[in-house]
Amino acid sequence: GCRELWTRRPPCRSSLEVPEINALEVNQRDHWAVLAGGDGAVRVLDLESGAFTHELRGHQDLVHVVALREQLPQVLSGGEDGTVRLWDLRLGSQVQLIEVHKYQECSRPQLGKWIRCLATESDWMVCGGGPALTLWHLRSVTPTTVFPLAPPQHHALFHQDMVLSGGVGPALHLLQLNGDVRGRVPVSPPALRSLCLHPRSPEHQVLTVGGNSPKIDVFTNLGYRAFSLSFT
Amino acid sequence: MSSESSKKRKPKVIRTDGVPAEGKRGKGDTDQDVRYYSEESEVDLRDPIKDYELYRETCQELQRLMAEIQELKSRGIKENAAEIDERRVQSCVHFMTLKKLNRLAHIRLKKGRDQTHEAKQKVDAYHLQLQNLLYEVMHLQKEITKCLEFKSKHEEIELVSLEEFYKEAPPEISRPAITLTEPHQQTLARLDWELEQRKRLAEKYKECLTSKEKILKEIEVKKEYLSSLQPRLNSIMQASLPVQEYLFMPFDQAHKQYETARHLPPPLYVLFVQASAYGQACDKKLVVAIEGSVEEAKALYKPPEDSQDDESDSDAEEEQTTKRRRPTLGVQLDDKRKEMLKRHPLSVTLDLKCKDENVLHLTFYYLMNLNVMTVKAKVTTAVEMTTAISAGDLLSPDSLLNCLYPGDHGRKTPNPANQFQFDKVGILTLSDYVTELGHPYVWVQKLGGLHFPKDQPQHTVAADNSLSASHMELTVKLLRSRLQSRLALHKQFASLEHGVVPVSSECQQLFPTKIVSRLVKWTAIPYEDYAELPYTKDVIEAGLAEDTHLYYMALIERGTAKLQAAVVLNPGYSTLPPVFSLCLNWKGERNSSNDDNIRAMESEVNVYYKELWGPKPGYQLLTNQLQRLCMVLDVYLETEPHDPSVEGPKEFPQEKMCLRLVRGPLRLKPFKFNYPQGFFSHR
Repeated sequence: GCRELWTRRPPCRSSLEVPEINALEVNQRDHWAVLAGGDGAVRVLDLESGAFTHELRGHQDLVHVVALREQLPQVLSGGEDGTVRLWDLRLGSQVQLIEVHKYQECSRPQLGKWIRCLATESDWMVCGGGPALTLWHLRSVTPTTVFPLAPPQHHALFHQDMVLSGGVGPALHLLQLNGDVRGRVPVSPPALRSLCLHPRSPEHQVLTVGGNSPKIDVFTNLGYRAFSLSFT
Repeated sequence: MSSESSKKRKPKVIRTDGVPAEGKRGKGDTDQDVRYYSEESEVDLRDPIKDYELYRETCQELQRLMAEIQELKSRGIKENAAEIDERRVQSCVHFMTLKKLNRLAHIRLKKGRDQTHEAKQKVDAYHLQLQNLLYEVMHLQKEITKCLEFKSKHEEIELVSLEEFYKEAPPEISRPAITLTEPHQQTLARLDWELEQRKRLAEKYKECLTSKEKILKEIEVKKEYLSSLQPRLNSIMQASLPVQEYLFMPFDQAHKQYETARHLPPPLYVLFVQASAYGQACDKKLVVAIEGSVEEAKALYKPPEDSQDDESDSDAEEEQTTKRRRPTLGVQLDDKRKEMLKRHPLSVTLDLKCKDENVLHLTFYYLMNLNVMTVKAKVTTAVEMTTAISAGDLLSPDSLLNCLYPGDHGRKTPNPANQFQFDKVGILTLSDYVTELGHPYVWVQKLGGLHFPKDQPQHTVAADNSLSASHMELTVKLLRSRLQSRLALHKQFASLEHGVVPVSSECQQLFPTKIVSRLVKWTAIPYEDYAELPYTKDVIEAGLAEDTHLYYMALIERGTAKLQAAVVLNPGYSTLPPVFSLCLNWKGERNSSNDDNIRAMESEVNVYYKELWGPKPGYQLLTNQLQRLCMVLDVYLETEPHDPSVEGPKEFPQEKMCLRLVRGPLRLKPFKFNYPQGFFSHR
């Protein structure tokens, strides 16, 4: 019973392979959305006019994930080429480049250099994937903490004073900013792909996670799984 | 004087009662004087009141005289003797008067009485008359009412109504002029008419009776004629037998088969009828026949056997064996079991021929006490087939017809009432006896018209023709396709065991020309082994792997990489595709839970199987799936990113042409082969 309201297709170069959109973040205040494209371009779509305002190129391979910085109109993007780039939308160009895989502390060449998860809060950033999940200080561009998680992580979030992350392996990790693993909560899917916190009510914490299974787990208390929703 | 005459007449007067004195006087007294003295008449003349006065006077005189006499007598006797005599004479006279008066009084009384008596008699006479008359009046009234109530028989006869009468009756009877005015005549006329009509109808009735007798006699004659015809027809039929054989029209043979079919139990009969009808109408390669002993079937119905009453049967047996040694309890139970599982002596065989001359023989039996039908299957192939080891189960009679319809595994009896019967004789389940009795599949029951509802035990289920007919076509088609798919698989397995994946020419375009990975091993594994593998849990949980399915293990190798594939083959191949579960051993163990690309490879064969069916009817699905597995393993191994920490070149150089190596958040490899360009892309 769903009807499509509108469709916007970013322009693509060749008709042989249409690039996919790997991630999407929306700025509710200014009504624009940022898209991470499979052809390596970061695009900005103005939701009011429906036009693609910026096309930011720089990644050598597909862009996996984007994150919005709150105070400035800046966008962080992480990609298959192992870099995290900072883009300024007013200037319309790349401002900073971090080659994560070149840092010894976090790189894991046997798994690859791809960056899959990215989250940012004020001056801090956490990113991971092939390289280990690391907490970075953006102004000084230094990796402050490397979290001791062996499998590659697919999604990470900042929550209060913790970092939540999930990836390969049926566990949701609760990490403290100093690098300690506060908890490892078992979940139903064998690998997690996406975590989502209820944004608006600080007193009721609801976290939903989904991954490689037909079940979505719901947490009301971050210590254990409350129940699962399953598709029939 | 007067006293003497009156004395004489007194007795006469007394005797003659009530008769008028004048007349009597005239007749009776002839010897007397003409003038006589009648006191009766004197009575009428004298006044009674005066007589009364006279009486009083006389009494007074007498009293006076007596007083005088008394006085005189008291004075002296002599002087007064003459006065006394005088007075005495006077008193005698007075006495005479008194007497007369007395007589007169008596006469008056008598007269009065006589008069009253007369009057009374008159009144009585009138009274009687009145009574008589009244009585007669009443009598007459009764007679009148009787007459009025009199119903003559003619009123009970139903006459036709007046209008009809005047319409139908001829004028000499109806005489309307007279009858309209006089109701009496009218009724008479109507009665006349009625009588005439009845006479006429009685005559007609007699005529009809005689004609009916005649016709009955004619019918008798014709019946005799017809009954004499039957033996003549029989002899003609006998004579025509050689002609039939000469012209190849085996009507008699079909007739004989129908004769035998009459002795079949109802479900087998329904099956026989529907199958022969279907064979004649739609499918010339379907042959139906009846096997078994007809005499035994006939013997079943001679003495009425109550097979439901096990107790009485066993009682009868026990009575018989008191003379001999009693059989042990186990033997008795065994006998009861055998009795319960008894088969009807007749069975129906169906032979399905396929285009390539392979034949599927099906024999249908009917278990009488359980009211279910079972089937045994056998395959005869045109060419002697080399049996591959792994293909042992494919054509075995036990599992050939498993799950023809989904879920129909034929190990449990479909009749819910049987459970209660089994409990009585200690049979746990029918599956123990399936090898000798045959499988009681649900489609077999449906072909025999037996429809068992799912959850309610019923006492009798009668065989129904329409149920059988609707299932016949579908079931025969399914049986054929089952046989052919199994034969195709049989051939394929023979080739797979030698490490060659047979790909037909129509399917070559699904794969690139060069595939380096090879199938090294193909074996059949039992269900328990399959269930123990760690990477098959999802398939079992999804309900796709049951113990009625067939399980195999394939091993594909390239260099140091070994790919294990556990295959579950649904009996409904190839409509229902086989499901693969993969595990890659190369630099660690990767399977679908920890490697997205292995999942993608599984989906290439499990989800996108419709591309791999090949030409109809799609029996090449399995081999195409195996070929595709080899192909995607090649792509997987060749597109692995080079690990800079390891020395030396890549073990598998990239030879496949790919547009992009990684796509999407899952970072999948390009597994889709494009023909005819020959490159790999993502779906």
